Amino acid sequence: MNRRRSIRAALAPAVVGIGALLCGAGGVRAAPVTVQVTAGGGAPAVDAVVVFEPRDRVPPPAHADAIIDQIHKRFVPHVTVIRTGTSVTFPNSDRIRHQVYSFSPAKVFSMKLYAGSPKRAVVFDKPGLVVLGCNIHDTMLAFVLVVNTPYFAKIPASGTASFDLPPGRYSMRVWDEALAAPVPARPVVVAAAPLQLSIALDLAGTHDPVAAWP
Amino acid sequence: MLLRTRIAVTFFLLVAAVLATALAVVSAANRHNAEREVGRQLDVGARVFMRAMETNREQLTQAAQAVAADYAFKEAVALRDTDTLASALQNAGSRLGAAVEVLTTLHGRVLAASGINIKPGMTFPLARLLRARGVQEGNSTIMVADGRIYQLVAVQVRSPLPVAWVVMGFALDTKAARELAAPTALALTMSVRSGSVWTTPITTVPDGGARRGELVTRSITLVKRPRLEVVATLSRSLTAALAPFERLTRVLYLIAGASLVGSAFAAFWLARNITRPLRQLTDAVDHIRGGAYDVPVSIHRRDELGVLAEGLQVMQRAVSTRDQAIRRLAYDDPLTGLMNRTAFVEALTAALGAASAGPVAVALINLHRFKRINEHLGFAVGDAVLVKIAARLTAPPAAGAAVARLNADQFALFAHLPPGADATAWGLALQSRLAEPAVVHAQPLDVHATIGLATAPADAAVAEDLMRCADLALEFARREKRAFAAYLPTLTPSARDQLSLLGELRRALDADELRLYFQPKWEISSRRIAAAEVLLRWQHPARGLLGPGVFLPFAEQTGFIRQITRWTLDRAAAQGAAWQKAGVALPLAINVTVDDLADTGFHLSVARALEHHGLDPALLTLEVTESGFIDDPKQALRMLQALAALGVKLSIDDFGTGYSSLSHLAHLPVDEVKIDQSFVRQFEADPEVAAVVRSAIDMGHRLGLRVVAEGIETESAAALLGGMHCDLGQGFLIAKPMPLAQFESWLRGRDRVAALAVPAARADVAGASGSRRRRAIKVFPA
Ligand SMILES: [Cu+2]
Repeated sequence: MNRRRSIRAALAPAVVGIGALLCGAGGVRAAPVTVQVTAGGGAPAVDAVVVFEPRDRVPPPAHADAIIDQIHKRFVPHVTVIRTGTSVTFPNSDRIRHQVYSFSPAKVFSMKLYAGSPKRAVVFDKPGLVVLGCNIHDTMLAFVLVVNTPYFAKIPASGTASFDLPPGRYSMRVWDEALAAPVPARPVVVAAAPLQLSIALDLAGTHDPVAAWP
Repeated sequence: MLLRTRIAVTFFLLVAAVLATALAVVSAANRHNAEREVGRQLDVGARVFMRAMETNREQLTQAAQAVAADYAFKEAVALRDTDTLASALQNAGSRLGAAVEVLTTLHGRVLAASGINIKPGMTFPLARLLRARGVQEGNSTIMVADGRIYQLVAVQVRSPLPVAWVVMGFALDTKAARELAAPTALALTMSVRSGSVWTTPITTVPDGGARRGELVTRSITLVKRPRLEVVATLSRSLTAALAPFERLTRVLYLIAGASLVGSAFAAFWLARNITRPLRQLTDAVDHIRGGAYDVPVSIHRRDELGVLAEGLQVMQRAVSTRDQAIRRLAYDDPLTGLMNRTAFVEALTAALGAASAGPVAVALINLHRFKRINEHLGFAVGDAVLVKIAARLTAPPAAGAAVARLNADQFALFAHLPPGADATAWGLALQSRLAEPAVVHAQPLDVHATIGLATAPADAAVAEDLMRCADLALEFARREKRAFAAYLPTLTPSARDQLSLLGELRRALDADELRLYFQPKWEISSRRIAAAEVLLRWQHPARGLLGPGVFLPFAEQTGFIRQITRWTLDRAAAQGAAWQKAGVALPLAINVTVDDLADTGFHLSVARALEHHGLDPALLTLEVTESGFIDDPKQALRMLQALAALGVKLSIDDFGTGYSSLSHLAHLPVDEVKIDQSFVRQFEADPEVAAVVRSAIDMGHRLGLRVVAEGIETESAAALLGGMHCDLGQGFLIAKPMPLAQFESWLRGRDRVAALAVPAARADVAGASGSRRRRAIKVFPA
């Protein structure tokens, strides 16, 4: 999975960028926050997800769209972070058919066996981690992390993600599919000054991605 | 131990050892083969067992995977629909015949279960293993629960991340064990260690473990954990594996036993076959050692024993031949091939022992003229004559008869006569057979045979006696100048006969029946008469004129010879004195015996006779035989010296026949030696005898003695003796002994009486050449 991170990294800034744009629309001056996430040995934990949840307010649901493609019997991207209420379409770029399903409590669904683009998108209306599979191909796996905040990012190859956060109190949560247990949420107070944070993840244990996002 | 036993036992033991070794090797090989076979079976069994376990695992894995991959099942897992899950599991397991189907969380908490006494919510016994990934997906493992053993396979349920374990398993119970072991014909035992306690819940070994000691096993550890160990043990009964070999071994033992018995018989048969001929050979050898050479050795074999038997036969014949040759030498006369005396006496003894049927006649045959044939025609002719006579005596061969040559010219013959047969007729027939002349080299030769006959049992019963009787008859025949005489009892001088003979001799002296006979001694060189020897004859009133052999030996035996000698001395002295007065000085010699010399008054008798008749002592010669010195040489010497002192001449008679006293000759006061006629008769033919005679003459001369040769019968002998310078001769060539009247007329007719050339006196010679004489004495006996 780590090997795939370089591909997904190209899309990640765009998602963060949208979040920042939405925040800036509130008219409040935001402060730059950078988070560096490393795995064992100081290597960048690519595709790890960093989420800042405001502790003082609940952001309204978004009505956004997202696409998770299926290319060469793989979900692309492998990890997707979306705001609650986002509609995700699952186009099939393969010539074979796939049957996407999820038994995760945050979103249980099963699409009919299909090829090409499905007729309708799936709306992820509850926050939580959703594990996607294909009933035909056991090896196909994808994670959709549904969050109630616009402030989230996937760690790119540089190992550092940048946020523009309005001042306030936040809980910073980090998730990686290779984690064995949840990383405790970290309270972060954002003032006007830039903030630089770093987290080292322990990815050595038995992977339990579901347990890592309670 | 007997050779037979030894051979048999050795053979038997050898066979037994070979059989025992063979059986031991076969048994060991059988056991080895059986063990190897069992080992091979166990290897195969272990492989089969492992493959069966693998097949189980594959079946379980496929079933579990089928369940785990089912979307509805995944959905049921996601929904925790326990009942649905349990039925789904049971459904999948029953298709396979699985004994246990369990669904657990990834942490081992049971979500649903079937076929095993586990409820949802419980922790699965292998939870820790599952949690710790000790169980690889699709690998089989072993679980022991409630005393039962299970082979389990665990497969994860993914949706799509692993969310649960589907565990399916077969029970390894007795039935399964039988099924597992069935293709291999092996027994399967499952042993379980819980903690440190071993149990054996499952076994297909018959009779439990009673015969465990004879089992060969192969253990396969199915699982080994700190608190649990399960071992599957495949086993095979070695006894059972050996069973076919044991049947073979029993057959082998049977064959070995039969072989042993057979070999025992064969061994004894073989041993007997070898030792029986050996025993026969031994017996034969014993017989041969006993002197029997005609023992049949009837062993006809082509092996070494046959060769040995044949060799023994050949040896027997060779020994027999040689024995016969030796016997011939010992018992036969080599010239004629006839028996010699020893053999003849033996044969006669045997014949007398066997002669119960009729009389046995014995004839002694003397060839009267044989000596003359030898002398005149040579020994070769003589031998030829003997052979002819022998042939005549043996032909025709008569049963129970035997012929022998006893000495030079004497044969002996005996024969069984039919009962009542006339022995005299047989003897006369024998005589007529010998009367014909023997023809040698186409020259007929008269052989005058004289035969003396005796018959058993009439004349004697013992061989020696019978032969003596025949000898007496022969003697009688010769004396009577007859060709044949049969034995008469009167021929044997009995004790009474001897007494009467003594009486007759006394009477003969008184009645003047003895006669003096004279035989001249003549000078060889001139043939002139030099002296005369006085001899005696007995004019018996009944038996006629008897020679001295008839009565003188008897007289000597009885001692009556002294009277006879004195009578002779008296008469000879008288006659000598008569001739002396008549002017004929003829020296007379009379014989003197041992008895006379032993008579200490003998010289006085001589002196009295000389004086009484007035005879010159020099004209009287006393002839003494050498044997006269043997009994008492000192006395004899004293007497001779006394006689010499009288002036009479002394002569040694029969010179050369008794060497023992020759050493005394030099000391004896003798004047003359007389060479015995036995020498003179042989010396012409035998050079050795001639040498002896020559030596004797030389010897006598060296001692200063006159030498007289007796028994001269031929001119050639006379000439030869003349050549040897013998002084005087005596013998038929000139004259036989003659009575007085005849002798006197003979003397007158020849007018040969001469004055004797008496050799130089002894004393002179002794004085002149004593040393020479001694040397000569030494030489003579050689
Ligand atoms: Cu697919």
